[in-house]
Amino acid sequence: MRTPFDRLRDGLLGVWSLGAVVFLFVPIFVIVLFSFNDNQGRFNFTWQGFTLRHWADPFGVEGLQQAFVTSLGLAALTTIIAVILGVCVALALVRHKWRGRGATGGLVFLPLATPEVVLGAALLGWFLTLGLIRGFVTLVIAHVMFTLGYVVITIRARLEGMDVHIEEAAMDLGANQWTTLRKITLPLLAPGIAAASLLCFAISIDDFVVSNFNAGQTVTFPLFVYGAARQGVPPQVNVLATAMLLFVVLLMFVNLGFQRRSARRQNREMETTPALGL
Amino acid sequence: MSSSGEAAAPRSGGWLTLRRRKSLLPLALVIPGLLWLILFYAIPIVSQLWISLQTGNPDDGFAQTWNWAIYGDSISEYSEQMLRSLQYAGTATIACLIIGFPLAYFMAFKAGRWRNLFLLLVILPFFTSLIVRTVAWQTILTDDSWITNALKTVGLLPQDGRLLATSFAVIAGITYNFLPFMVLPLYASLERMDRTLVEAATDLYASRWTAFRKITLPLAGPGIFAGVLLTFIPAIGDYINAQLLGTSQQYMIGNVIQSQYLVVREYPTAAALSFIMMVVVLIIIAAAARLIGTKKLSEAAVA
Amino acid sequence: MPDESLDHFFDRLVSGEPISRRSVLRRMAASGIAVGSASAFLAACGGVEGSSSNKEEVDTSNVNHPKAPIGTLVFSNWPLYIDEKVIPGWEKANDAKMRYLEDYNDNEEFYAKVRQELEQGQGIGRDLVAPTDWMAGRWIDQGYAIPIDKKNVPNAKNLLPSLQNPPFDKNRDFTLPWQSGITGIGYDPTKTGRKLNSINDLFDPAFKGRVSMFSEWRDSAGLVMLGQGVDSSKATKAQCSAAIEKINEENEKGQIRRFTGNDYTKDLAAGNLWACVAWSGDLVQLKADNPNLEFLVPDDGGMSWSDNMLIPQGAKTPYGAETFMNYVYDPVAAGVIAEYVNYFCPVDGVQELVAKKNPELAKNQLIFPDQATLDKLYSYPSLSAADERELTAQMQKVTGA
Repeated sequence: MRTPFDRLRDGLLGVWSLGAVVFLFVPIFVIVLFSFNDNQGRFNFTWQGFTLRHWADPFGVEGLQQAFVTSLGLAALTTIIAVILGVCVALALVRHKWRGRGATGGLVFLPLATPEVVLGAALLGWFLTLGLIRGFVTLVIAHVMFTLGYVVITIRARLEGMDVHIEEAAMDLGANQWTTLRKITLPLLAPGIAAASLLCFAISIDDFVVSNFNAGQTVTFPLFVYGAARQGVPPQVNVLATAMLLFVVLLMFVNLGFQRRSARRQNREMETTPALGL
Repeated sequence: MSSSGEAAAPRSGGWLTLRRRKSLLPLALVIPGLLWLILFYAIPIVSQLWISLQTGNPDDGFAQTWNWAIYGDSISEYSEQMLRSLQYAGTATIACLIIGFPLAYFMAFKAGRWRNLFLLLVILPFFTSLIVRTVAWQTILTDDSWITNALKTVGLLPQDGRLLATSFAVIAGITYNFLPFMVLPLYASLERMDRTLVEAATDLYASRWTAFRKITLPLAGPGIFAGVLLTFIPAIGDYINAQLLGTSQQYMIGNVIQSQYLVVREYPTAAALSFIMMVVVLIIIAAAARLIGTKKLSEAAVA
Repeated sequence: MPDESLDHFFDRLVSGEPISRRSVLRRMAASGIAVGSASAFLAACGGVEGSSSNKEEVDTSNVNHPKAPIGTLVFSNWPLYIDEKVIPGWEKANDAKMRYLEDYNDNEEFYAKVRQELEQGQGIGRDLVAPTDWMAGRWIDQGYAIPIDKKNVPNAKNLLPSLQNPPFDKNRDFTLPWQSGITGIGYDPTKTGRKLNSINDLFDPAFKGRVSMFSEWRDSAGLVMLGQGVDSSKATKAQCSAAIEKINEENEKGQIRRFTGNDYTKDLAAGNLWACVAWSGDLVQLKADNPNLEFLVPDDGGMSWSDNMLIPQGAKTPYGAETFMNYVYDPVAAGVIAEYVNYFCPVDGVQELVAKKNPELAKNQLIFPDQATLDKLYSYPSLSAADERELTAQMQKVTGA
């Protein structure tokens, strides 16, 4: 019973949504476009012709390669640590009852809700009080601190959506906790862990504010760009930004395909073993 | 589940040890993460209070004097930037809601097989660096850009007007950069909604509008609430947009904190301001948690 | 200095010689004692930064940095401030490597970034930095600079006479200019529609919202004072303060679009700014993006300054830093840099060398100013640290943060 009015409304909704997506992509378009700009002077904001030379030499700017590699390493290390710590915390929060659980849940959430300037500034004072020389190590500490909450929340949501009965069934059948964790919980958590890792990596690699306070001599990609922005961002930065974007698109499609396949498999298994599906 | 069969094999194990292990296990799981947060989040935040009460100057150093007056002083000194932060963050949050709600609604109910694509498109721009994106906005909004000229042609902008270095640019930048924080929780709450309720309502001759007002909106309530909070809180502390797209007339409290810390080195003032901001944020969160519960709030943050 | 042995230090401690908290820390750090716990403890007793301000007089008469393997030399300089072609020449001659960082973006910002390590007596992981005159003065006063062993820098004799005795480092014991420059006005005559000749032209209501100034008061207020007929180098605190107040008035009228650091160049090249306070070398480079741009040394005067090479406390290889100073004071290397960066070259003999290759450049008043131009240049005010802080705070309020 779709009236013409409904159709008009849905149409408008679609147009509005498309408009919103276009809005989101305006700067992206500019970033990609200007990675091909044949700029002559120091700056890269007037279109001066098409070239591939920046793509041929993405690290042709002093310091950019090192900054980029630093950021990748930092994000990778942060992700590994934060995901391990985060999964543990999430398991404790969801699967166990203990005193202080509520308070811990609150503490995990707080860094997410703290403005970044406050996080960065507070850490800076603390590191210097401890006499820790700022550099890669302090960056890892800082990044793990503010990504941990995202991991916990992602994993927790996944854990809560999971059917406890499967784990309970395994335990009832005599599997100990470790085996249950290893054989049941973690495999079921895999998509959540993947999502948390991606999120963690993305947040870490993009962080500017907290890093700015705590990087010391280390230069990450966003810090490099910010420094360069005062003098004109070199087109190579656009090249790397575009390349990262392409990489993420690729990753997402792989992930999507993987999810579809596992969804299909799950459906099949549900049909064949309805008893386990409950 | 293919692995469950294997795990289901009976194992012998002392019941008592298992139970004791059970009581220690959550502790073991939670301690490393908890310690990290206490050492590198809780203590540093509290130490801000300590720093803020010191007096001195950056060249000769600061000493603890329990100078509580700093709080009154810095509030009166920087009230303009504080109010501006509230105003900009508030405006940007409303703008995010206006842009984001229809988008989330469309994705949840109307996009059909395009849903995943739309979701991807909403998230994708945020995999480029925030700084790079904001610098791109600088390029888009320059005084000679086509968009500025177009707005002048249609008369929306006076002939000697400009877009860059105005509050419009700063609010637009904040809106842009924090839009996903609004859209994603909204989408999550809408998508989780039971559509049969709406169908039931319309079956019972409620108009679509009434159904939307009485069913959809209330059910989306926690999502809207979370989205508003998750946009507003980071927006209030933002200084990148004001720095890159605005001028000193648009500076927010975040700009003051960063410059007091990183340029002027008036650490007590900076610490006091950031402590005030933290307290304000905590009050907002506590109020929100009371209203909708911490779990819903934090879930919506990521879901 | 850092090589003082711990034993010796304890001797002094026992014999009751006065030791400041900072020197305790510095020595502990230098001796590799558990810096972490010690400084954490001491910091917990005091404030965010050291509570002692006694400056240690450094005896510069018998500085000795003997020849030693250099390894890697770390140099933090301002962006776009070197032709990197010159680095390999030094690396080969000294069998060393250079890590050249372009992370010196702002004097106060850089200082704030490394200040607490300096305060704790630690190194900052760099062997050379490039502070502007007044900031170099602060490093020296605070005891954060290592004196230069002049035996290692024979080429220092090529330093232009006018730069040999600046007030902040009377005998150039700690610093050598990297490049010098002029703060004047950068503008686009096609936008302003007329030639400018005074700083007061920036306050023409016709340019409302198309004008920028530096957020750093010494340059901005310096020029404004010159426009008011005050000699900036002899200015009192009250005169500086009045100039900042003038800037404040113009800002409140909306005349000034932004207060910037290095980043004004982008707005100027993009056409967002029609006229602004600018640094001489930048304008020469900006012409590649916008050929209309002009640099002006106002008739009422421009500010002149230098960015100085300085060896920070805790540097791994002061000797290496000195060999590099010596290298860039050779007119050949200095000429290569001058041709690239287009700032006012502090090395004597470069003009003649450049004239052979590029006679046009050798006549450029911004790189090789003649006496008439030099007569229009003034240096920064020299005030007490407390006065400077107050003025910085006043300017900070104008610039909004």
